[in-house]
Parts: sequence; C-alpha cells; structure tokens
Amino acid sequence: MWRLNRVRYKNVGQSSKSSEELRLKRREQEKALRQARRDKQLVSKRLLLNEDEEVTMETTSGEQDVVSLLYKLQQSGSERETHLKDLSKALRDPSAQLTFIKQENSMHLLVSLLTGSNTQCRLHAVRCLHELSHSIHTNVAPACLPATPYLLTYLSGQSTKFTELCLYTLGNLIPDSDVVKEKLLAQGIIPALASCMENQRHNLAVVEAVGFTLSQLLQAKDAAEKIIPTVLTSCLPSQLLSVLTPDPKFGLAPAIECAWCLHYLACSKDGRELLAQGALLQCSSLLSSLGGAEGSKEGMELLVCPLLRCVGNLLSFCPVNSLSSQVGDVRLVVALCAFLQAYLHTQPALARESAWVLNNLTAHSGEFCSALLTFNLVPGLMQLLLFSQGINTMILRILANVAHKKKELSVQMVHLGLLSTLCSTLKMADQEMVTLSLEVLFMLVVSGPQVVDEFVRLNGVPLLEAIQYNSEGEMRQRAVYLLERHLLSDSSSACTVDNVSSS
Amino acid sequence: MISLTETTEEQSELPFNFVPQLFHLHKDHDLFEDGDVHRHMYLQDLYCVSEAEDKSTPSISQFACHISGCSAVFSVLEEYEHHYNSLHRHVCCSCRRSLPSARLLDVHIQEWHDSLFTILAQTQDMYQCLVEGCGQKFRTNKDRKDHLVMIHKYPPDFRFDKPKKDRRTHETKKPQQIETAMEVVDDTCGSERVHDGLSDQQELGESMETHVSEEEAAQNYAAAAAAAAGGDAGLSAALHSNKHANSEMPKPQYSYRVPTTVCFGHGSVRGFRGRRGRRK
Repeated sequence: MWRLNRVRYKNVGQSSKSSEELRLKRREQEKALRQARRDKQLVSKRLLLNEDEEVTMETTSGEQDVVSLLYKLQQSGSERETHLKDLSKALRDPSAQLTFIKQENSMHLLVSLLTGSNTQCRLHAVRCLHELSHSIHTNVAPACLPATPYLLTYLSGQSTKFTELCLYTLGNLIPDSDVVKEKLLAQGIIPALASCMENQRHNLAVVEAVGFTLSQLLQAKDAAEKIIPTVLTSCLPSQLLSVLTPDPKFGLAPAIECAWCLHYLACSKDGRELLAQGALLQCSSLLSSLGGAEGSKEGMELLVCPLLRCVGNLLSFCPVNSLSSQVGDVRLVVALCAFLQAYLHTQPALARESAWVLNNLTAHSGEFCSALLTFNLVPGLMQLLLFSQGINTMILRILANVAHKKKELSVQMVHLGLLSTLCSTLKMADQEMVTLSLEVLFMLVVSGPQVVDEFVRLNGVPLLEAIQYNSEGEMRQRAVYLLERHLLSDSSSACTVDNVSSS
Repeated sequence: MISLTETTEEQSELPFNFVPQLFHLHKDHDLFEDGDVHRHMYLQDLYCVSEAEDKSTPSISQFACHISGCSAVFSVLEEYEHHYNSLHRHVCCSCRRSLPSARLLDVHIQEWHDSLFTILAQTQDMYQCLVEGCGQKFRTNKDRKDHLVMIHKYPPDFRFDKPKKDRRTHETKKPQQIETAMEVVDDTCGSERVHDGLSDQQELGESMETHVSEEEAAQNYAAAAAAAAGGDAGLSAALHSNKHANSEMPKPQYSYRVPTTVCFGHGSVRGFRGRRGRRK
C-alpha cells in the first residue's frame, strides 16, 4: 500500500508545478524501457524510502563525505549510528557509490556492522547496502557479494522493516550480474524466499517484497532451466496463489507482485504444473470479481494485466474436459468483455490481452461460447471489429470460435447483425482480417439458407467479387468458392463480372 | 502474428480451414510489450493514473481495394465504394479494361472482342453512338467520331479510339503501375478524384491528358482541381475548350477535362494487371 499511496501523493504534489515536465520525463523513460525490452535488458530496481523521507532525490553529500565517514566509522564507537545513517544518505549519489566500493575494506566494515550486536547499526547498514544495490553502475552489485549470505539469513527474522530492506536489496542485486545471481541461487535464495513468505504471510509488506524479489529472479534469461523448476517444486506457488485475495485495507500491491510471479511461471513450458494447484481457478475468479466491481479502482489495471496473462497461458495447458471445473464460473466472459470495453481507449494493450484470453477461453468450450450470447456480449464484440492494432483479428477469431461450435449459435449471431459487420471487415486492408472474415462467412452460410439471402440483400456479393481479383491466392480461392458454390446459384439477380462478360 | 501451438489440419477439397486455436505466449512475445513496459514504469515509480490522454488509442481499420495491382486504401466506406464502382465495376474480362458504365462495357465488348460484330460491321452500320439515348449507328469508328464532335460537341482531341501508344511513365510509379500509366487517359476516375479532393501523387499523370507534359501536369493539377471544384462543369467546359486544346499555353485549366461518361476504347484505364493472365 505504501507504494501506491506514495505515488499518488507524489503526483498530486507535483501536478501543479511541473506536470508537463513530468510527462516529458515519463515519455522518455517509456521509450528507453521499450528499447530495453527489445534488447532483452528490461530490468528495474526499487528504492525503499524511509518514512520520514521526501521523494526528492537531491543528494547533499559528495564523494568526500563517503571517505571521511568511512574513516570516522573505523575510529569512533560512540557516534557510529549517526555516521552510518549519514553514510546511507550519502550513498544515494551514484559517484559516491563508486567511491565507496573502491575504498579498501569498506564492504568488510559494512558487513561487520550488519552482523554486529547493535541492532540500530544493523538497520543503518542494511540501508547502506540497499542504496548500493540501487546503483546504476553494474560493478557495484558484485562488490556487495560478501553481504548476501547474511541478507539471506536475516530473511527468517521477524523485524518487518529490516526484512523488507533485505528483500528489496536482494531483488535489486539479482539482475545486475550473472555472478551475483549464481551465488544467490547457490546460497539458497529460493528456499529462503519460500520460508520467508510462509512465515510472514500475514505481513503484507513483506509478502509484497518477496513477490518483487522472486519476480526479479524469474525474469532472468536462463530462468526456464535453473530457476523455474526449483520454484515450482517449492511451496512458493501455493503461497503466491493464496495472496490473490487482495486485502481491502492494504491495497493491491502484494497481489500485483505475486500475480507477476505467477505470470512468469505460467509462460514457461512447465506452466502446466500450476494447473494442478488450482491456479486457473484462483486467477479467473479474482479477474471475475475485479471485472464485476463497479467503477475501476485506481491502479486496478496493474493487477489485471498479470492475471489476464496467467489465465490466458494456463488455458492453453488446460485439457478440454476439465475446463469448466478449472475455470469455474462462466461469468468470466462478462469480466473479460468489461475489460475490453474499459481499456480500449486508455490501455489498448490490455484490451488486446483481454481479447487473447477470450479467444483461448472460447476456442474449445461450447459452454463459454454460449455464454457470450446468453449474456448478450456479441454486439459489443462486433463493434470492436472496426478497430485496428491487432484487437480486431482476435475478436474475429472469438466470433469464429463461436460460429465453429454450433449452427444455432451462428444463426443467433446472424440475427444480431454479424453479416453487415462482415461486409465491413471484408473491405479491410489487413489480409488476415479478410481471410478470417471469409472463414466466418462460410460457417454462417452453411448454417442456413436464409443467411445467403440476407448477405445478398446486404449487397455483399460485389465484395466477394472484388476479392476474387486479390493478389493473395488464399483469399481468392475462398471468395471464388463462396461465390460459385453458395451465392451465384441462389441469386440470379446479382450482376457480376462473369455475367456481363458472357452476355 | 502469433505462434501457433497447434497445426491447422489440411483439408484438400474445401478452401476453408478455420480451427479454433489456443495460443500460448512466451514471456517475450510482442503482445506483452506494452504491458511489460507499463509494469516496469510502475516498478520505477513512474506509475501515473491519469495518463490516458497521451496514449495512442486504436484507430479504425483501413479498407483496401482488393483488386490486385490496385493499392488504394480508404478509411471511409463511401470512398471505397465510389472507387470500386468507378474503376472496377465495369471491367472487360478479356482485356481487363475498366469502363465507366455497363452500356459502354457492352459496346466495348462488341466492338473489340466480338467476331460477329466485325463481320456485320462490314455490311451495316454497327458503331453505336456513345451518348446514351442517341441511338444512332455508324459504319465506322471515324463516322461516329465525327458525329460525336459535330452533334454532341465532343472535343475533337478526345481520344475515342486512338491506337495505343507508348508514353514515358511517371518516375514515381511503381513497376506494376506502368501499364496503367501507359493507358493514359483515365478521366473516369481522374475528374472524380479531383472532385473528391483526393490528391494522390501517383494519380497525377493519369488524370491529365496525354499531351500535357509531366511537369505541366503537376503544375496544372492544383489549378485544375480548383477549377473543377464547381462539380460537373466538365462537359460545358470541355465544349469551350476545343480551340485551346492543343495550344502550348493552356489558359483555362479545365479545358483538359473531359466528361466522365465518355471515356472509351484504348483510352480506358486497365482495371487489372495482365500479369496473372485471364481469369478462368
């Protein structure tokens, strides 16, 4: 909760003076992140701030301070706490971080303070490490290696703030270097996270931190070979699933982190192991309740996104005969359509993902296909066919799934005006759209003779004639087949190129 | 767009093979890009609730003309229908020329591809007047042309049935459009396009008469567009234009415009590329 609250506060505070500046910064950052993802380098670190701290990132102390503070720390005994606190503040500065790791024995000193008997010093020392772990310099993380066994050991402690700091520090260290990650795995980070989560499952701040650290591990490039199998055999999956019941007081943050972990697990080839734990049921029922909630809560899409992905990918592992028991309520389709409509303009990517899940849900299940008609969701879907950017092809696939199931469903969709929508999609520039439209048209046409009349009445024949001349052979073939076998034999009135030329 | 987890089964007789498919998407799939970026924005404390304004919303899909070799794209249904009706509706299946009306298509097919017509034309008047409702017939092409010029006030330079001639093509044209470009006069769509306010660079050469050079064409285009804005001023304008037609300094720009209903013969645009050969 602290995070969403704090972020909201930050936005309110800054909106008056520099909202334009902030937006510009955001856009630049977004561009950088997009490029990073293409380069498969998308990593993030989190900085846990002190309660009394302002968000401002200004650093007052320079490199000089780090050297002198280190010297003082080695000397005195009485004022160690204050010096250590000052050091943690100084270490926010990237150049100070480099200065620190270059000083002889600096890390050794920090570890001794971390493991000393003075608990206040321990807290300040772990904050120093946390600041170091947040560094943009990749050589800082390996320098922190001497501290990692202690950080892992402290995960079994009971102090919330201290454990949180240890977790976020570990989470920040993971993506920087393979050496660090290998060491952490060897030192048993996965069982340590599992027991930490189990012991502190009622402490949601810690749960969120475990979720973050685990998600950092699961995003590693070689996670599929080394990390995911170990995680799946631990108690972590069931722990993660149990978090998917958001606490109204604490907020969505822990569920968000855990849902992302589940997503990384579900998109691996071993994802099917989650099915046995009831992950599909858990995720889809949470999605249903989020979709059913009136008025979208702030930040809800942060949770909806990983949940959609879990459900979509888990559905692809789910055997057809156990689908209804795994997914549960058919009203999931209502929630998915609600997301489609709600996010179409604000978060088109989420709308696309919702459409993908709906496709996977309706692909092999007559029950869910019927539900689309029972809950009167087809008209809304048909409207979306006119939008581009990949949404429309997925929507058309969904309608094709429905038509493919039963003839009665096809007839119902014709009554809802699907033919006139198809008349529009047949004219689109996107070849995939046109080919799919022809497929759907074929399924509708064979469902009953009145469909042909209706299509002719809607002036659909010239559209097919046009496609006859398309350069794309697959399309041409389908259009010619429909014209010759189904349409021209029934409608002598239609004036076609063939008719004219033979006259 | 998406990697398939199942292979579609081949059906030999039917060209239709839709099978419902489940898609399993891996971590780095493109569909996940936006969501991943959003997730990391949140992790990096750049999450912001009211940022919907500067997101790109999905746009309406564009319609394409499906005729091969025709690359026109439209965002409004009416534009497409107009384009199809004026360029691809009445097409000769033998030589793939597009004609502006069913009547002219019939006339074209008779005169160009009907051997009976050729035989009969040697003994009787077979060449119908192109003007609808006139009904007169002539022994030769030339007689008809004279009739059209004299009685119906067609511009004498209107290319009724001139033999095909080579012409240098516009440099921006793609290879596949060269054929179209060589069949120069295309006033069916030319004047209509101007009317619609479409100014596609590729259309420049086509919408002008043959004797206007490329450079002039480009200059004149804007002026012609403005002149033709009055709608169907074409016919009357064309009547007055006869004397100016061949002068090198065309004063009224619309003098080069020809009525939309009278494009005929070799002057017609080719609706399709001949590349694929005749259909069936």
